Amino acid sequence: MQKIVDLGDRMECSDVMRAVILFIDNELHDENQALTFQTHFQQCPQCLVEMEHERQVLTRMKSLLADECCEQAPDELQIRIAQQTALLAAQMFSPTQIITEYRRTETTINGETHIEIETTHEIRRDFPLS
Amino acid sequence: MSSEIEVRTPAELMATESVAERTARFERDAMQYTNQLYAAALRYTKNPHNAQDLVQDTYAKAFTSFHQFEPGTNLKAWLYRILTTTFINTYRKDQRRPLISDGEVEDWQLAESASHTSDQGKSAEDEVLENLPDGDVKRALHEIPEEFRLAVFYADVEGYSYKEIADILGIPAGTVMSRLHRGRKLLRVLLMDYAKDRGFGGSDGM
Repeated sequence: MQKIVDLGDRMECSDVMRAVILFIDNELHDENQALTFQTHFQQCPQCLVEMEHERQVLTRMKSLLADECCEQAPDELQIRIAQQTALLAAQMFSPTQIITEYRRTETTINGETHIEIETTHEIRRDFPLS
Repeated sequence: MSSEIEVRTPAELMATESVAERTARFERDAMQYTNQLYAAALRYTKNPHNAQDLVQDTYAKAFTSFHQFEPGTNLKAWLYRILTTTFINTYRKDQRRPLISDGEVEDWQLAESASHTSDQGKSAEDEVLENLPDGDVKRALHEIPEEFRLAVFYADVEGYSYKEIADILGIPAGTVMSRLHRGRKLLRVLLMDYAKDRGFGGSDGM
């Protein structure tokens, strides 16, 4: 995660509030940084209130979002995926040949030689009828 | 001119696992996430029809590249990553629109949320959030720009860390942080706006 200013041991309230979301999200990977926040909250009731409000709002938002963003996949979709997987598996089973052809062409004009190498791949596969 | 022909059989190309084994493993491990993938797909496409197609395409890609999945790592996150690339490659190709870059949210949209510091503002917000009618949060989530919406979904619904979201969306972790931050603020502003439109604002309960 990116560095939040150079904090030292002390933080100004504005620094705390600017980065409070990292504290709430548990994204302060440097132990000293987390500790600096905690120390600040112990000494600064306004910032503590602010942080707790932010945390509470976020918790509430998360539970609202979780309640509403949990749509069930329709049965029809489940069936489509199962059929598709079976079809793809069948295609993998069916005999497949990969034919690779190399073509080398050498042309000499007035003592200058050009060499061209061409590669082609051909995939031969029987598609099962669906 | 010379020509040589080389024939390779599928057996040489395939991993040691048989197709039947891989199919069984896929059905056992990957198919359990269809609901979550569908819910995620709805956040990308915003409509059920396209969301179904997106999930189906995602499962096709996931199955054909399942041999590349490293067992023991997070399969659901791997599927979300495929969902993201599938969405970008198929569903966004024909509706090219300029992506909102990260510094571009209208100032007024954020200015409003900066005023949430007063105690009055705080309790008003708490009250709105406690009494939110069904559907408001989803409506607000679908109103904010896609980039913000996806960051919010993966962080606040799925509970992924910034780093994990960065892997899923293919963007730097710092970008995740700013999108998430802005997305959450926009959501809160919108929810307050809906409440105001409904006549919320006084404490007289009318």
